[in-house]
Amino acid sequence: MTAIYVILGLLALVVVVGIAQYNKLVRLNVAVDEGFAQIEVQLQRRGDLIPNLVETVKGYASHEKETFEKVVQARAQATAAQGVAAVAEADGMLTQALRGLLAVAEAYPDLKASANFLSLQEELSATENKVGFARQYYNDTVRSLNESIVSIPGKFFAGPAKVSERDFYVVDDPGKRVVPNVSFN
Amino acid sequence: MSNFREQQQSNKRKTLLLLGVMGSLTAFVIYAFALYLGYASIGILPFAIGISVIGVWGSYYSSDKLVLTMTGAKLIDHDSAPQLFNLVQEITIASGLPMPKVAIVEDDAPNAFATGRDPEHAVIAFTAGILRVMDREQLQGVAAHELAHVANRDTLVSAVAATTAGAIALMSDLLLRISFFGGGRRNENGGSNPFVLIAALVAAILAPIAAVLLKAAISRNRESLADATAVAFTRNPTGLRRALETLASDSTVVHQKSNAVAHLWIESPLDSKMTSKLFATHPAIEERIANLRALEQTGPLNETA
Repeated sequence: MTAIYVILGLLALVVVVGIAQYNKLVRLNVAVDEGFAQIEVQLQRRGDLIPNLVETVKGYASHEKETFEKVVQARAQATAAQGVAAVAEADGMLTQALRGLLAVAEAYPDLKASANFLSLQEELSATENKVGFARQYYNDTVRSLNESIVSIPGKFFAGPAKVSERDFYVVDDPGKRVVPNVSFN
Repeated sequence: MSNFREQQQSNKRKTLLLLGVMGSLTAFVIYAFALYLGYASIGILPFAIGISVIGVWGSYYSSDKLVLTMTGAKLIDHDSAPQLFNLVQEITIASGLPMPKVAIVEDDAPNAFATGRDPEHAVIAFTAGILRVMDREQLQGVAAHELAHVANRDTLVSAVAATTAGAIALMSDLLLRISFFGGGRRNENGGSNPFVLIAALVAAILAPIAAVLLKAAISRNRESLADATAVAFTRNPTGLRRALETLASDSTVVHQKSNAVAHLWIESPLDSKMTSKLFATHPAIEERIANLRALEQTGPLNETA
C-alpha cells in the first residue's frame, strides 16, 4: 500500500516539475520573441528619424551628397532585412553611416546650434541607446533560454515545448555599438 | 565583490537574513507577551498587528499618488522633457519593465526617488536640481538606480519592514502599559520566575529599538542592491558612480526633510551628521562609490553582444 503512495507521489512530483519546466521554456521563448520585436521597433523608430535628419543637415551642407546617399542606402537595407543575422548586419551598417552623417554635421556650427538639429540629435542618441539596450535585453533572454535548453532538466522538455536554441544578436565591430558622435549637453 | 550579479545575490541574501531576524524578533516579542500576561492575552495581538498593517499598507497601496502630492511632483511626458523621458524609456527597455510615470520635483537640491506598489504603478521623480547639475550619462545611472528599486520591489520590502517594526512597537508598548497598570496580570503557570518576567519587560523596551535598527539596515541593504541592479541594466557603472560623486560634493539638501519619505531618495536628504550610521537609511556615499569603482575595474560581464 505504501509503495503505491510513494509511486503516486513521485509521479505527481514529476508531473509538477515537468509542467514548471515546460512553462519556463515557453515563457523564455516568448520573451526572446518580444526582445527581438523590441529591437525591430527601435530600429524602425531610428529609420523614421533619418529622413528628417538628412533634410535638416542638407539645409546647411547640401554638397555632402555622398554621405547622404550612404545613409539612405543603409536605411533601405535595414528596412528590407529579415531574420536576426541580417537585421544585425544592416543595423551595424546604418549605425556607421549615421556616424558619418553626424561627423559631417560637426563641421557646420550653424547646423549644430539649430534647435531642430539638437532635438533630432537627442532623439537619435536616445534611439541608439534604446537599440543597444534592446539588444542587451534580447541577448540576455537568449542566453537564459539557451542555458535552460542545454542543461538538465530543461533538456528533456525542449522537444515537447517545441523550443530550440536561438541566435544571439551580434554586431560585428564592437565600435559600432558606440553611440554615434553625440555630445550629451 | 567581483561582478554585479554576485553583488545582487549577496544583497538579496542579506535582505532575506534581515527579514528573518525581523520575523524572529516579532516572534520573540509575542513570546515575551505570552510569558508575562499569560497565553490567553495573545488574543490582543491580532489587533496590534492589524493596526500596524492598516497604517502602513494604506500608504503602500496608494504610494504613487500619495508621494506625488506630498512632494508636489509634476508628471512629465515626452514633449515636455524629451531627454529625461527618453533616458527613462531606455532603462525600461534594458530592464523589460513597463514605463513608469516620470515626474519632476521643483527643488534645487539634486535628488531623485522611486515609489509605487508594483512596476505597473511606479513613479520615478527627479528634482529640478538634479536635472541641472548632471549630464545625460549621470542621469541615466540615476534613472537606472530608481528603476532598480521598482524592479526589486523596494516599496514592498520597506512596507513589510515598516509594518513589522510598527507591530513590534505597538506590542511592546501594550506590554509595558499593561505591566505598569499591573492589574491585568494573570499568570496561568502560577509560580513563574520573576527574573523571567523582568527579562520579558526589558525585551519589550529593547525590541522596538532593535526593530528600528533592523528597518534601517534593510533600507541600506536595498540601496546597495539597487546600485548593483542599476549596473545590471546599464552595464555602465561609470554613469552612476559619477552621479554619486556629484551628489557627494553637493551640499544642498532637499527641503523636504521629512523622515517619513527619507528612504525614498537616491541620496539621503537628512543631514548625515545628525543621524548616526546605525540609523541611516542609506549606506555611506563613499562606500557606494567604492563599490561601483570595483565594478568598473572588473569591467562589464562577458558580453555576447
